[in-house]
Amino acid sequence: MKGYAWAVGATAACTAAGMAMRGRFDLVNIAMVYLLAVVIVALRYSRGPAIVTTALCVAAFDFLFVPPQGTFTVDDVQYLLTFAIMLAVGLIISTLMESVRSQAKAQARLEMQAETERMRSALLASISHDLRTPLAVMSGASSSLAERGERLTAAERQALAQSVFDQAREMSEQVTKVLQMTRLETGALALERDWGSLGEIAGSVLRRLADRLATHRVIVELPEDLPLVRVDSGLIEQVLANLLENAARHTPPGTVVRLRAKRERGELIVSVEDFGPGLPEADVERLFAKFQHGVSEGSKGGMGLGLSIARAIVRLHGGRAWGEQLPGGGIAFRFALPLEEQPRLPAEPAAA
Amino acid sequence: MTTILVVEDEPEIRRFLRSSLGAEGYRVVESPNARRGAIDAGTHKPDLAIVDLALPDFDGRELIRQIREWSPMPIVVLSARSQERSKIEALDAGADDYITKPFGVGELLARVRVALRHAARSPSGTVLKLGAASVDLEKRRATRDAREVHLTPIEFRLLGCLAKHLGMVVTQRQLLTEVWGPSHAAHTHYLRVYMKQLRDKLEDDPVQPRYLVTETGVGYRLLADD
Repeated sequence: MKGYAWAVGATAACTAAGMAMRGRFDLVNIAMVYLLAVVIVALRYSRGPAIVTTALCVAAFDFLFVPPQGTFTVDDVQYLLTFAIMLAVGLIISTLMESVRSQAKAQARLEMQAETERMRSALLASISHDLRTPLAVMSGASSSLAERGERLTAAERQALAQSVFDQAREMSEQVTKVLQMTRLETGALALERDWGSLGEIAGSVLRRLADRLATHRVIVELPEDLPLVRVDSGLIEQVLANLLENAARHTPPGTVVRLRAKRERGELIVSVEDFGPGLPEADVERLFAKFQHGVSEGSKGGMGLGLSIARAIVRLHGGRAWGEQLPGGGIAFRFALPLEEQPRLPAEPAAA
Repeated sequence: MTTILVVEDEPEIRRFLRSSLGAEGYRVVESPNARRGAIDAGTHKPDLAIVDLALPDFDGRELIRQIREWSPMPIVVLSARSQERSKIEALDAGADDYITKPFGVGELLARVRVALRHAARSPSGTVLKLGAASVDLEKRRATRDAREVHLTPIEFRLLGCLAKHLGMVVTQRQLLTEVWGPSHAAHTHYLRVYMKQLRDKLEDDPVQPRYLVTETGVGYRLLADD
């Protein structure tokens, strides 16, 4: 539609310019001005507007400038050639542009496919690494139990069985994450939003992760009057879980992991801060960018996926997630969720 | 002897359930699909049913509905973490609790014990012991550290609803419908606000509650000291 508006506008502008030029310039030069309009519209828009511009320009040029003026009759046959050339120029340029545009589109699609393919293989490489380690532990430990069980002490058997159990849990977490990442990437994850309380979500996640966070000192600092947020609570719990696990996994045992939240300019900002060795400032964001591509880091796998899932979920909620170097060493991973007008609650008579 | 019906299509999971439940002295009846499960539920009259949600013939939720038509037997659902929606639907269809796969045997036996106890328990004499707090639902009195705590009528109703399913999960929809009425079934913010109030009044650490536990996205669970 915009193209056609341009067709009319460009013709009108050329007509105004032509009127101003009349008498001082040859008609051929006025035709050139119209040709310019045809070229501009053909370059910017598809073939339809280009043809319309040509027709309008030819009509206006003929009617207003070509003698006899005020009619569509043409005395001098040579102007028919002018019209034909204007039409030809319009068609050639718009056809050329059309093919350039479709080539660019195809190119972009190819690049996107290549990028997706690259991400997929990076992801697969990281996943298979993350799954292979627990699988190796599980098959080793369980085969010891099955084939050599009677030669082991009760304590050794117990330890082996426990490690099979732990690794299976770990693996299950990985599989859940992979599934979730796939859903996030393909847009198959629909948010089920309702009013959620960050305090409640935090309580639930700390309970669920109690074992895995037992190595660290977890400090929770949540203000009393935190507003409610319209979120998919299950997914926000996953974000918190990923950030907390990440912090515990990459800092020395015994250090503090602090969960904080505050309201700031229409957003709820949630932070998971650790007091580990930290990273140079530049690396923190690089860390995030790298994670987005699903590249796992060394033997402590799973981390990459966890952070990129966290970021994707927060973005799905219209929020943002980032990392920050803390002054005393350590890193803060934060996310911000947009706040909405708080829901109303019917008042309850105080007396029982 | 307590009989437990296991409706699960994966033979390896049935094997694990059979041996771990058997070791605790339960008699285990196994059904590999929902159709068989419905029949076994009728003929064996189990004391409790463990139902996998993803069954090959028809949906576990449908089986739960069928069992609920004639029996109040406790039903514990097995579900994968990604099946949030169907888990809630199973609970709303009449299941009493759920366990998320993969699970450990400790978790499984704890759920089974709570569900069996719930079925055997008489509904009266309800004084809840919640650490330093105690709530007498009948006399509508609550104390914490021997000091009187004021609970509003809605807070009492909410606690009462959770206490009816002590130790088991109650969905948000169930709570909202029972406490505020069916027209408020979607007003989840009521629960957020009132659960916080209850925790502030009864829990030592309201952010990390021990008794009024959140099952995120699903509902709440009231635990109490024995």
